[in-house]
Amino acid sequence: MVHKKSHSIPVDPSEITPKHIYQTRRQFLKQMGVVGLSALLASCAPNVGVPIDGPGSALDEDLADNLTSYEAITGYCNFYEFTTNKEQVDENAQDFVTSPWSVMVDGMVETPRAFTMEEILSTYTQEERIYRMRCVEGWSMVIPWVGFPLHQLLEEVVPTAGAKYVLFEAALVPDQMEGANSGLFPFPYLEGLRLDEAMHDLTILATGLYDEPMPPQNGAPIRLVVPWKYGFKSIKSIVRIALVPDQPPTLWNTIAPQEYGFYANVNPNVDHPRWSQATERRIGETGRRETLFMNGYAEEVMPLYEGMDLTENF
Amino acid sequence: MESRKPRKINSKWWLIAANLLGLLPLGVLVWAFWVNQLGFNPVETALQRTGQIAVIFLLLSLAFTPLRRLFKWPILLKFRKIFGLYASLYAFTHFATFAIWDYGLNLPLIWMEIQEKPFILLGFAALIILLVLAATSFRYWQKKLGKGWRSLHRLVYLAAVLVLVHYFLAVKGDIFSLQGDYGAPLVAGIILILLFLLRFPFIYRPLQRLINRKGA
Repeated sequence: MVHKKSHSIPVDPSEITPKHIYQTRRQFLKQMGVVGLSALLASCAPNVGVPIDGPGSALDEDLADNLTSYEAITGYCNFYEFTTNKEQVDENAQDFVTSPWSVMVDGMVETPRAFTMEEILSTYTQEERIYRMRCVEGWSMVIPWVGFPLHQLLEEVVPTAGAKYVLFEAALVPDQMEGANSGLFPFPYLEGLRLDEAMHDLTILATGLYDEPMPPQNGAPIRLVVPWKYGFKSIKSIVRIALVPDQPPTLWNTIAPQEYGFYANVNPNVDHPRWSQATERRIGETGRRETLFMNGYAEEVMPLYEGMDLTENF
Repeated sequence: MESRKPRKINSKWWLIAANLLGLLPLGVLVWAFWVNQLGFNPVETALQRTGQIAVIFLLLSLAFTPLRRLFKWPILLKFRKIFGLYASLYAFTHFATFAIWDYGLNLPLIWMEIQEKPFILLGFAALIILLVLAATSFRYWQKKLGKGWRSLHRLVYLAAVLVLVHYFLAVKGDIFSLQGDYGAPLVAGIILILLFLLRFPFIYRPLQRLINRKGA
């Protein structure tokens, strides 16, 4: 694991956060009804006051200043192979063996092969990415991931012309995973992205968080993070990545296709059929905040969906 | 139970115990909130816990009519009322957690959710029924409504069905293929069905006979 920064030293958010994220906190202040304070706060944030155009950039917060605590990120998560109890995953996952580990990358690529974790960590520069995480259940976090863009790995194996989608498969080790034999879920957990989504620079393979190696409950040793999609797309503990010609089956989409679309983009305007997605509960805060279109990453990712009906392709 | 002599039950102590049992979960919840032990998503924990407790008390309350057929202790009817009242209390606490703590009494937003989402609508309908039944559970209304009281209070079955559908709709997964988070609501559903079945004479009569024979 490459540890880039120590957390004892305050880090300038502009060093570690994609530019758009920290640019304005105006919206946030407006929501909080403390616009008058913005001048005062401006002095602490490097780029406050830089106005941004477009709906996708109505970003409301300086993410680096609003990180969800390490305890919450590691103590509250969904990993159904271990248990469906979000606060129990932590304990049940502790004996999960994540070393040695390798990820098979195959399918429609020129050089299919397995990558060991050691190789992945030494080949690809691990950088910090602070992203919002929005769960389809209606809660959210801000997580300082450590990882690298997925496209770097995909470029290495060279997708062939017919490759249109990327399939991800999670580890399934029933003797280490209490919930794996539950007949209620068709494990192994599978996820998928369109190739252009997978190649997008915001899409990363994460190997750690808060400058620590990835804890087992959060998807050790390597997981996907796609910040503009609901959390269930960000598959954990990946053992295989395959380039495929057609849209692959994915776990939640297989269970309930009318409720969990293949795209699963965070979209406050498209409700889950049974509950609203307009607002969310940020872990560590009281009250609700409005859910951002594309989880706040619209400016970067909307070109991917040009001409698509996002209500139809939810 | 060696004899069928009318049992002397000190009902006062039983009633106190039943009320303590009813208040205990609320006490635990308030205490957990106070010492910050509701976990990382306290609103969700409080919502789920008040909902689950309401379901448990509702099922308990529904269990006493069939039980009384089998064991003729008069106190069981009092339990039925007490646990029914606590089911209403926790259903209301559940709703209050949703409306006040979670949605900060943002009425337009709450109204939108209630209207749009069948799952909230069903829970809300069940809550209204339970509150009406709670309000009319006292002797004054029982006398005043006469025969109507019984019919009115049969609505508790409707409330129970609504509550369970609400429970099933609140979890992730697909109801028809039963793939998803269905463990707890399934158990509750099975208990409800068993309690329903126990009300049919062809099911409870043989059981009654069995118990009476053993008791003799």
